[in-house]
Amino acid sequence: MLDILTAILIAGLTTGALYALATVGLSLVWGSMGMLNMAHAAMLTLGGYSAFTLCTVLGLPVIAGFAGAILVGAVAGGLLYVLIVRNLLKTDKATFESNVMIATVGIGIALENAILLTYGGQPLKQPISATGSFILGPVSLPYQNMLIVLVVIALMAVIALLLGRTRMGRAIRATAQNREAAQLMGVAVNSVYFQVLVLSGAIAGICGVMVSSMTQLSPPLGNDPMLKAFIMCVVAGLGNLPGAVAAAFGLALLEAFVQYVAGARWGFPTLLFVVIAVLIWRPAGLFGRVQIRRM
Amino acid sequence: MNKTCNSKGMSGNARIDLFVSLLLIAAAIALPFMIDSRYVLGQIVLALFYATIASQWNLLFGFAGVFSLAQMAMFAFGGYATAMICFYFGWNVWAALLPGALSAVVFSLVVGLACLRLTGVYVALLTLAIAQTMYLLIVTDTECFTMVGSICRQFTGGAVGFARFGDLGTRALLKGQWLVGNYAIIATLFAVTMVVTYIIVKSPIGLAFRALKDNPGYAVARGVNRFQAQLLVFGISAFFTGLAGGFYAAHFQAIGPGILSMSQLMFIIAITVVGGVGTFWGPLVGTIVLVAADELMREAGEFRTLGLGLIIALSILLMPKGLVGRLGDLLSWLRHRNRAAASAITFQEKPATTGK
Repeated sequence: MLDILTAILIAGLTTGALYALATVGLSLVWGSMGMLNMAHAAMLTLGGYSAFTLCTVLGLPVIAGFAGAILVGAVAGGLLYVLIVRNLLKTDKATFESNVMIATVGIGIALENAILLTYGGQPLKQPISATGSFILGPVSLPYQNMLIVLVVIALMAVIALLLGRTRMGRAIRATAQNREAAQLMGVAVNSVYFQVLVLSGAIAGICGVMVSSMTQLSPPLGNDPMLKAFIMCVVAGLGNLPGAVAAAFGLALLEAFVQYVAGARWGFPTLLFVVIAVLIWRPAGLFGRVQIRRM
Repeated sequence: MNKTCNSKGMSGNARIDLFVSLLLIAAAIALPFMIDSRYVLGQIVLALFYATIASQWNLLFGFAGVFSLAQMAMFAFGGYATAMICFYFGWNVWAALLPGALSAVVFSLVVGLACLRLTGVYVALLTLAIAQTMYLLIVTDTECFTMVGSICRQFTGGAVGFARFGDLGTRALLKGQWLVGNYAIIATLFAVTMVVTYIIVKSPIGLAFRALKDNPGYAVARGVNRFQAQLLVFGISAFFTGLAGGFYAAHFQAIGPGILSMSQLMFIIAITVVGGVGTFWGPLVGTIVLVAADELMREAGEFRTLGLGLIIALSILLMPKGLVGRLGDLLSWLRHRNRAAASAITFQEKPATTGK
């Protein structure tokens, strides 16, 4: 009984950490610029594959693979801003929300397909992974899972510091709270948007490496975590970072439990039902505030 | 800006719409006589399906502002319901079409009840999740429901789907020319869908949909019930989409989970975006352009999806209102230039008369 429970707990916490990372990347962008990045999944995949290229193909050390994934993710985020978002921001604010969604859907498909054409569809092994496990009495903790949870906690701390303590973080939070007021106070809103997308791209890069180290590298790698990250964002209320992390861990534990009890195929539908129930109860999400809109 | 010239422009626009539709009907009748290739006619039938779905997604998103990503789920629900009624109860396909479409409406209302309390992106995310769940549940269905011969059949058809449950009866009636018969049926379906959509868009309820899209707060303040109106448009759009799904299953005599895949949904969105979101003729224009582009890219084979993604992104960047919107811009620019030229002429005349 105990070993089953710990197995569920370990699986839930590990996937929870991964979902939290994917959710934070999405939620950050939504919260500060009102943009839903549908290309996030492809950016995750891109991160995983760039680590593969650096470590397996070029034979560089693991740390270079990590750094490369972060760098490639950040560059992808920056390019997304320069090529797409900057131009769409010039248009009407009312249509921006749906336009940017459609545009990033297109970019996402193109990117995923480009990866498919470059690397082929067969699954590849992610070189950045740890083997073996830590035995503690009756409980065995795989190093891989510990690594993921530790990396995610470290990253969360970095992101929290970045947002809470730096000048850039203050500008991002100000823009998220009120774009016009921030602009009037001298915050360069456009460069804040650029920074947010770069940051979210870097997070997506790491997240891709972590996700692929649990499974395997394949072009649709990012789709599953992103779909779940969407749901977690919605439950927590889009744009709420601490809420998103809490929702990610809670729902991942629930999913691991349901998958054990009722079989793997019921994990996602159960999540969905929970989400719909929560939304009927609280339409702005669990931690979201009801917005008062002025006309 | 546009609203000021509405009373004058309306009749002109209606005349253009009538002219275009008469032209299209003539083209639709002439088409089977001009095309010998069975492949081309088959692709045209497929394009008519795309155009029907896209027109309904456009009604939902372009006119009512509901960003639903469950459009293909409605289509699949209608198709599956029709196929399953035929498969399990042995009904004739024609009898199963209406129940199939109605069950898609019921499904859409359930989805709508869950999602439409929310707005904007939340609706998009939830409907996407629902569509993906439907796909996953069908694909991973391995439990035996009935035995067909010695083969185990799942209730939802599993990853294989349903096949050989009947057809539209054109094969028995027209023999070798059955494809032309199916073409006529699907073209009629498309025409009826477009006419009903036109009536809805121009009716008071259509105005309410648009008001909710343009300024939800103001529309609600003027007494439009957002939840009811959006649920209604969700149901209407699901009816025609589900009906098209039934015809799709009957035309191909098969239906599988593949139509629920992301790329199919993207194709529908691309069609609407390229043609022009919120324009009546947009989905049709988009279908013609994208199906033609798709056929051309078929030569390039593997780059097809890549190209499609780039087309979506570029067209939203370069022409947010689509091809039809760009055409409208061009027309108004020409009109403006003509007027400017006309006024320039009167200006020139004036000094001439005063100088005398």
